[in-house]
Parts: sequence; structure tokens; C-alpha cells
Amino acid sequence: MPKCTINGVELEVKEGTTIIQAMYDNHQKIAHYCWHPGLSIAGVCRLCMVEIEGNPRLQIACNTVVTEGMKVNNNSPKVKEAVKWGLDFHLINHPLDCPICDQAGECGLQEQYMEFGQYNSEMAEAKTKKHKVVDLGPTVVLDSERCVLCSRCVRFTDEVSKTNELGIFNRGDHAEIGTHAGKELNNKYSLNTVDICPVGALTSKDFRFRQRVWYLKDSEAVCNGCSTGCNVKVYFNKEGVFRVKPKRNDAINGHWMCDDGRNIYKFVNKENRQLKGMKLANGQWTVDLHAGSVAKDAAQVLKAASSDDTALVLTGQHTVEEYESIVSAFVNQFKTKNVYHWWNSEKTASDFDGLLIRGDKNPNTKGLQTVLAKHGVQTQWSQLESALNSGKIKNLVVVGPENVGVYNDLAEKQNLFAKAHNFIFLTAAKADVLKENKSFKNVFVIPTKTFVEKAGTFVNHAGVAQQFKKVTTIVSEALTVSEAATLLVGQDIKVDIVADQDLFNAENKRADQVALDHRKKNEFIFQRGRL
Amino acid sequence: MSEVKYLTEFYHLPEFKTLDGYKKNGGYKELEKALKMQPQAIIDEVKNSGLRGRGGAGFSTGMKWGFLPKNNEPRYLLCNADEGEPGTFKDRMMMERAPHQLVEGMIISGFAIGSKKSYIYVRGEYDASIASLETAIQEAYKAGYLGQNILGSGFDHDMDVYRGAGAYICGEETGMISSLEGSKGQPKLKPPFPAVQGYLKKPTIVNNVETLAAVKYVMRDGAQGYRKYGTEKSAGTKLFSLSGNVVKPGNYEVPLAYPLKDMIFNLGGGIKNGKKLKAVIPGGSSAPVLTADEAMKATLDYECMAQMGTMLGSGAIIVIDDSKCMVECLANLTHFYHHESCGQCTPCREGTGWVDKITHSILSGKGRMQDIELLLKVADNMKGKTICALSDAAALPVISFVTKFRDEFEYFVREGKSKVKGTAYKGHSHAQMHH
Repeated sequence: MPKCTINGVELEVKEGTTIIQAMYDNHQKIAHYCWHPGLSIAGVCRLCMVEIEGNPRLQIACNTVVTEGMKVNNNSPKVKEAVKWGLDFHLINHPLDCPICDQAGECGLQEQYMEFGQYNSEMAEAKTKKHKVVDLGPTVVLDSERCVLCSRCVRFTDEVSKTNELGIFNRGDHAEIGTHAGKELNNKYSLNTVDICPVGALTSKDFRFRQRVWYLKDSEAVCNGCSTGCNVKVYFNKEGVFRVKPKRNDAINGHWMCDDGRNIYKFVNKENRQLKGMKLANGQWTVDLHAGSVAKDAAQVLKAASSDDTALVLTGQHTVEEYESIVSAFVNQFKTKNVYHWWNSEKTASDFDGLLIRGDKNPNTKGLQTVLAKHGVQTQWSQLESALNSGKIKNLVVVGPENVGVYNDLAEKQNLFAKAHNFIFLTAAKADVLKENKSFKNVFVIPTKTFVEKAGTFVNHAGVAQQFKKVTTIVSEALTVSEAATLLVGQDIKVDIVADQDLFNAENKRADQVALDHRKKNEFIFQRGRL
Repeated sequence: MSEVKYLTEFYHLPEFKTLDGYKKNGGYKELEKALKMQPQAIIDEVKNSGLRGRGGAGFSTGMKWGFLPKNNEPRYLLCNADEGEPGTFKDRMMMERAPHQLVEGMIISGFAIGSKKSYIYVRGEYDASIASLETAIQEAYKAGYLGQNILGSGFDHDMDVYRGAGAYICGEETGMISSLEGSKGQPKLKPPFPAVQGYLKKPTIVNNVETLAAVKYVMRDGAQGYRKYGTEKSAGTKLFSLSGNVVKPGNYEVPLAYPLKDMIFNLGGGIKNGKKLKAVIPGGSSAPVLTADEAMKATLDYECMAQMGTMLGSGAIIVIDDSKCMVECLANLTHFYHHESCGQCTPCREGTGWVDKITHSILSGKGRMQDIELLLKVADNMKGKTICALSDAAALPVISFVTKFRDEFEYFVREGKSKVKGTAYKGHSHAQMHH
């Protein structure tokens, strides 16, 4: 464990740690473009210059390993001058198109210019012309003139996605990023290249030109796209959510997330949501009802029902806390253990692509299973099917999926649910499709919140419980499943989830909780623009 | 003092190219001798001979070999024959006239460092060198100097020629290794150094053609015998490629510490067309230029060159007479480095282009007075900031040209035309030149 002094601070680091890693881990600022903690070392941007006592030449921090007694600084005038020039070399051929560049506000060049630059450019010659608006594939667009050739994206496709689509072609100041002949940047992780691009060279087709980043706030969440439970940052404003990016968590997703996960913001926004309650009675749909009043009407129905003819269906898309409320409501108040698990991807649940994507397209299957087991619920889906077909179940409460895109069996299940006399449907997704199915008798649609609109816990495939906070409100009238359960029962439900030792024992706690806390304080150079 | 025919003793004989002719003139005798020695003894002999790398950096060859890990890991010997430094053409002559000399030197070196496989990375344009080496290697295989159990010694060694594609950067040792591995010819980050982790991530030694050929002579005459020529720190002889405005350009072998003045005026026959000497680039285009006064005092050895703020480099002496415009000469060099930068490190990728553009804008009569200072500033910040030395190689001529011939640059900016020629640059515009 060598000890060193960096900018006057004494540090003890692991054997083999580079200077930049040591600085990064200890929240010290150092300019860099090509280095990324999740990729190999390229050493090409030459910005992370440091002065090492006893060495007349400046060294790059990313390829210099800390040795015992090393004294390092990156704040001497010599280093600052070198970084200023390093930055200037990056900027001389860079177009001054910040006003129309999507990266503006979260651009590495802008950040460094404010830190080290703030001079007038001495470049009087014509800038080098390169290709613009290069279509790299279905998700990403390249502007070569903005590119600083840090090679992060190339290394990402080589080392992480292992798809090798990208390369640097030509040499010198006419070198450009591009795809190899006959290939396009088309893989399940392609948008990570946009995240790690320190400048506006790679932009996301989905996000570009839709919002200036300084009009967005960000908050942390857990992706609900599959059972991996990647930690994400959700970027939003009062108009809704605009994008999702990965948030580093070495115990779960490292630095990355998949492209499918980035689409989860889409079902969260108003246009795809059930905004109000609605009801079907006597063959007539009544829409634009208050969510709470629909829930109270449904409560009347359940009050009149008996425990034998009532059933509850849950999907793995909600929080442990919500499961706990609604399951205990059924078990304790309605005295029924007719609780069923609607699992769209049971057959593929164990699939894994080796990096992040898992076959179980629910974030909290483990959490649901744990809550059901805790309440002694042991049911099979086929039991529900026969009970509905035989007419034994008359009152059915279904807590539907949020991310309906991954539920291919929606239409099929609808026909099954229509067999119940009273169908109480808790849904975040727009439920207008129910109106077209004429076999429904009495329907109560209660809008619910999505994962960004509530606090809670998801338990991922490995049993890691990840708590998250509310990000924002999209549909103000929507209820959490817990709130809806309270209204359905007509009284408060006593839930003691925090004390549940099975779920929140020490081993299951998020392994990087400590690391996460310090990352929050870490004002490293690519801190994103805030409102 | 005159020329010394040490390595080049039999270069005038056409038969020296063939195995028979080579053997008739002492060929492969040293290999037989070396195979009976302990490898470490050969390394020590090379170390004691004071032989320094002839490719440009001038690093002690024996010491370089000593950096190899002392284990049984497979290791490679690479011969750097990607002779790309402008002004240099000595390796080409050696490979064309005496391919067996290199092959023998390489087998001895391979034996010394315990390498069973070597490659000769030859510059792509050198058709004749490649043909000559390939023939020589085939002959050596047939004669049992290459392959399994060489001369019954139990030592196996295979050798191949690899043809480059004429990229200057592939003459940088790690750039060459990248190219040999099939990747884009771009230098690699150091550390790790090639001696520890080089070709295919195995320990690798990269030596210049002339260096490896000289190993044979260290074997023949012993360390002390080799030191007969040259000085304590610059031992032996060296081939110099003399070009530019001299009467008799060509390759000359002289002992190190030979006076540059004699090289130009005796061996080279003086300046052509009765012109006067103005400047000399002493060690290939990367070496800072010397003024005529400096050149008259200089001796061709590592110490004197370092003392004069320049370097011996690859031994390419480019003579410039007083009818040449130094702005134009510099523009020629900046164009070269702009074209050859691999583009990996930002200061070099952008800096080579920037100094080239500034130089050409001065040359076209559109320069600004502050451009002269700017050239110096940009070049200064390209130095010592990159993975390999190409950036330094591009910066040093800029600094030396502008500093030593500042009046010519200032005149060009002020008057919009060359002080020497009286005209502005009439070639293509800068943009057309490059794209």
C-alpha cells in the first residue's frame, strides 16, 4: 500500500493504482478526456499532466502508477500552462457551434475552458474540415469536427460491448471516428458511447435537439427494464422525463446500461399514461373520473364480496413496499390468499447476455416472490385461469405492469380478466384499449404512479435490495399501489417493511452504499448542468 | 581524415550480396564463433564496445538488451528497417549491397538475447531491399544459418521480412510493433517498454539495421577492437547520408567524431555551383538545424551534437546553401510532419497541422508578425508532451529555424516575400497541398 502526496494531501492507495485513479477516488480535480475508469488507458489526450517531484518532465497521471513517497501536484503554474495548451490544441480545430450543439452545458471542452482557458484563441488559420452528421447506426449520430479523438467510444465497443464496430480512420489532423466497412454502430449498448463522449461528437438520435440540458434536473433511480436493476439518472423537467443515463454502481452495473433501459422514460410520460380514473358499468364507460373516487367505488364492491370469490394479480414491476401493503390488505382484511403472480417472462427469466441484460423483464420479481412467501401465498397461475373460467372468481384486482412494452401477453390476459364480474384494474399505462374489448362487464380503472414518481425498493435478480427516492411527479392524480390498497380496504394498512429482516439484512444492502455517498459529493469534471 | 571502410569494406563488390561472395569475404565466421560463446558474454561484449543505436536515439545497444527479463519467456528481435527519416538512405544501401551482413548480425543478436524469431520490418517503398533480404534469408536457410539447430549448436532461429507501407510513424519502435501486429501503426504507451512487453506482448528488442550489422564487427574485433574508431562515448564508425546542395552526395562511412566540415567540403566535394554554405541539418529532418558557423566547428559524434543543441540522429546530413529560403525549407519540413503525425496524441495531431498552416501562411505572404512568436510557442508546447518523439521531431526544426534564421521569417512577414528569393510562395495553396 504505497503512500503518496497529491496536491499536499497524503494518500494511501492500493498497489498499482494510477495517479489519476487516486485523484479520482479522493475527489481531486484533474482535467482529462481519454481516461475513463471503466475503460483501458489510452493516454492520448495529454491533458492529465502532473508534476512529480524529481522528474523534470511532466507526466500523464493516467499511465503513471503511484509509488511509495511520490509527491505529485497538478496545480503548479507549469502544469496549468501545459493544460491550457493541451486544451488549446483540442480547441483549434473544434467548431464554435455551442449554440446548436446538443452537448452544450455538459461538454468537457466547455468545462475545461472555464477552468483553465478563458483566453482568446490565437488560431488564425482555417479550421480542418471533417464529416458532419454522420449516421453511425440506428441510435447515434457523429459530428467529426467536434470529435477530440479521445477514442473512448472505440475502446467501449472493443472492450465492453465487444462488438468492435468503431475505429479511427486516417491519421494526423484528418483522423476521424467511423464504423468499419459494412458495419454500423448497432448493439444493445450503443448509447453508452454517447454518455462517455466528452464532447458533442456523438449524440443520441433519441435525445438530440429535444431539450437543452440546463433546462433539465437529474435525480437517481433504479431502472425497471429488467431484473438487473441498473442504477440510473433520470433527467426531467416539468414537461416530463427526457432521458435516462447510467449511474455508476460497481456492484450492479458498473458505468453502463443497455439501450432498452434508456427507453423506460417513454412509458413514464403523460402521453402514454392513464391520467384519470374510469369506470365501465351497465355497458357504459364513464371517463375522467377522480382516481380516488373510482377506488372508493371499487372498495364498495370488494366490501360486499366474499373471500372465496376475490383474487389479486400482481406483476413484478412495483415496489416491495407496495406489495407489502396490498398483499397484507388481501390476506389480513379480505382474508384471502388468492394472490397470483403474473410473470410475463418466466420462461426467459434466467437468460443473461453476459453484461447487463437479463431475461426477466421485471425489476422486482424477487421482491414480489419474497413478499408472497412471507404471507404464505402459494398459488399457481393455472389455478386463477380455471377459477375465472369456472366463474368461481367474481372480483378480480389486477395491478398491471408499468412497462407494458415488455408484456406481450396483454391482449390474451385481458380476455381472461374479462371473465370476472368486477375487474378492478390498477394501471400506470393508458388503459383505453379496454374500451375496445366488449366482453368486460364492470371495470374500475385506477391510475397508478410509475417508478420515478414514488419511493420504494426493488430487489434485483441477485437479491440485492435497492432503495430509491421519488424523482418527480408526472401524473399528479395517480396513486401508488399502497395508496390504492388503503382506499380499497377503506382503512389504514399496518406495514412494517423496514423491520423485515429477510429483505433488509446486511448482506442484501446495496454493496456500494458508501461509494454512492461520496460520488454525490464528488465534483469531478463532468458534473452535469443543473437547473 | 578520410573515409573509413569498416562495415562497408566490401560494398563495392557485387558478389558481396550473395552468400558465396559474402562467405568469401569473411561472412558467417562471427556467427560460428558466437554460437560457441555464452549469450551473456556476447551481451557484455556489445555493452563494452560502446555500440549505440544507429537509428536515431543513440541508446546503448548492450544496455537495451540488458532490459530483457531474465527468464525463459519467448522473446522477439525486430530489425527496424523502416528508414523514413527525411535525408536518410544508409540502411537501404546496407540491405541492397550486404543483406547477409544484417542477417548474420541478427542471428548473433538473436542468439545473445535468446530469441528464436526475428522480423525485419522494411519500409514499403524499398523494393530492392526487400528482394535482396528475402534472397539472403533463403540462402541462409539453405546453408543452415537459419532454422533448426543452427550449425549444430542447438540454437533455433527463424527470420522473416515484413513489408511496411511507408508510414514514417512505423519507424518509431512501438509504432512498428503495432504495425507488425496487424494494427494501425500507432506508438504504444510506455511503460511498459518493449523489452518487457513488446511484440505480441512478449519481450522485444528493436534495433536499427546498422546497429545489428555492427554486432558482427563487435564479435570479429572484440569490444576493444571495435573501439579503435570513434571516441569513448561515441565508439565505432557510422554511415552518414550526405544530401542537399553538395557536389558529391551519398553514403559515407566515417569514424564518429569526424568533423562535419570535412564531411561537407572533403568527402562531399563542397557546395554545389559555387554557392556558400548557409545551414546544415546534421541528423535527419528532426534534428535542429546548425548555422554555417556552427557546422564548421561541429564534429559528428553524440556528445558534440548534444552540446550544440542538436543530435546525430540517423546520420542524415542535409546541406543548405545560401540560395535557399529558410521559410520555404521549414515549410517543407512542417508539411512532412503534418502529413505523418499518426493523430493519436492531441498536441502532435493538432500542433503539426497548426505550425504547418502558420508556416505556409507566412510563405504565401499572408503572415502576421505575431505568427513568429506563435510558431515558437506552439512548437514549445508540442515538446515532451506526447507518447512518442514525433511531436518533438516536428517541433525542434521549427524552433531552431525560427530562432536561428529569424531575420528571414521577419522579412517574409514584413515584405510579403522571401529575403533570399525575392518572391512569395507560388505553389498551390495550403489547402490544395494537403487534401
